[in-house]
Amino acid sequence: MTALSVRGLSHAYGGVPVLTSVDLDVEPGQVVAVVGPSGAGKTTLFRCLTRLVRADAGALEVHGRDLQQLEGAALRDARRDLGLVFQSYNLVRRLTALQNVLVGRLADVPTWRVVLRRFPAHEQALAASCLDQVGLLRFAHTRADRLSGGQQQRVAIARVLASRARVVLADEPVASLDPASAGAVLAALRSLATSHGKAVVCSLHQVDLVAGFADRVVGLRDGRVVLDVPAARFTPDVARDLYTPELERTPAR
Amino acid sequence: MTDLQERSGVGLVPVPPRPAQPLRTRVSRWLLSLIAVAGFVGCLRLADVDPIELAQGLPTMAGWLVQAFPPSTEALDTLLLRAAETVAIAVVGTTFAVILALPLCVLAARNTTPSGWVRLPVRLFLNGLRGVDAFVFALLFVAAVGLGPFAGVLGIALHTWGSMGKLFSESIEALPNGPLEAAELTGAGKVKTASFTLLPDVLPSISGIGLYLMEFNIRASTVLGVVGAGGIGQELKNAVDLLAFPRLATILLVILVMVTLVDQLSARLRKRLA
Repeated sequence: MTALSVRGLSHAYGGVPVLTSVDLDVEPGQVVAVVGPSGAGKTTLFRCLTRLVRADAGALEVHGRDLQQLEGAALRDARRDLGLVFQSYNLVRRLTALQNVLVGRLADVPTWRVVLRRFPAHEQALAASCLDQVGLLRFAHTRADRLSGGQQQRVAIARVLASRARVVLADEPVASLDPASAGAVLAALRSLATSHGKAVVCSLHQVDLVAGFADRVVGLRDGRVVLDVPAARFTPDVARDLYTPELERTPAR
Repeated sequence: MTDLQERSGVGLVPVPPRPAQPLRTRVSRWLLSLIAVAGFVGCLRLADVDPIELAQGLPTMAGWLVQAFPPSTEALDTLLLRAAETVAIAVVGTTFAVILALPLCVLAARNTTPSGWVRLPVRLFLNGLRGVDAFVFALLFVAAVGLGPFAGVLGIALHTWGSMGKLFSESIEALPNGPLEAAELTGAGKVKTASFTLLPDVLPSISGIGLYLMEFNIRASTVLGVVGAGGIGQELKNAVDLLAFPRLATILLVILVMVTLVDQLSARLRKRLA
């Protein structure tokens, strides 16, 4: 079954269309990179995919459940299938790496155990193995604010892994990282798909990072999908064309 | 060429004239100043401020000062016990306030309240408690539970509950929203997210607030005895009533030493929290 299926998603802010009839399908185990110039609608697309913003029109199915129609408790429950990775990591700074991964398990642990910080041994072992997957087990008891940006983002990825969400949405996860850290973070995201069968949608600013990371590239411009190709066909020429403003484009193409 | 020009290598340009203030702005500024001055003069009148009376009273006070020496050391152990009682009132009252304020501050903070309909009454309640001084609460509790430090504890606890709830909720509102949002999107309920992801981040600032209010309450507790709510204030009132100046001097010294010690201790602890 398709993990994430978007049909005709449209949204406007104050009468100005930001997304126009966006279609997007992502299969389990697949990594889709969303690229496009600033203002193309990438951030709005991600906010609509998580229902932080409710799109004006369209269907948004996660493993067959249409999030557009849900409200309240049903929406909260459906959202558990979505794992989010943010540009600013959003870790609790004064908790350790392991405790931050355990945040991904909160929904399944009884309240009294959370309040007293008495997580069952199997939950702790699960969190530890998630941390191991992103190569940070040796930092399990290090406070999040002592880790580098790239390490914090990998802890955030371990948190998503622990939450057992099947669809992972990453909005500019490496925008504030140096190239080496960015590579490690994207490799961790990649392994979510390869080793754990998650569907990963990731927006990127740097098009040169796409190769070796994504299976498919979706290009957004002016709120429309103008490109949907296998990563191998996302050549420098295609990238340049996507980022060239309408007026400067050569008519021959 | 001037010296400055030579050194900086930049030519000099005349400063452009400041834009003229419109007449309305200038008039309203003058009017506001006038109203402020008139208001202050009115306050002086209402407060019966009279420098001549102060001048006439000074010799009397100087006489008291002379009579106060040497401070009496009689029954010093009672005084120290009363001072300890004052500290105890503040410590117990502040601790009760922390326990009462913690659940309410989550309801009163904009980013963690379940709804505006909960937040408004909680804030009104906290503001109400904050609006009534511990001294006034103590006065009421003396009538209800009788003379003694327990009335003081209740007064301190109720007033501090209000101040603390407000300050705690403000430190929650100052937190970045991201980590909380990330935890809530995993489907965890409010109690879990608040206790696990909110508490560690606000702990340093709420401990600082707690210590500061504890220190403040020790100073406030020194006068609670005046209304019969225990502590060293009781001795203070007795000494003033009996015009026992040497004893009064000792009491004031004890208060001064106690408050200074507490201030130092609290400042040191708060520095370590930061």
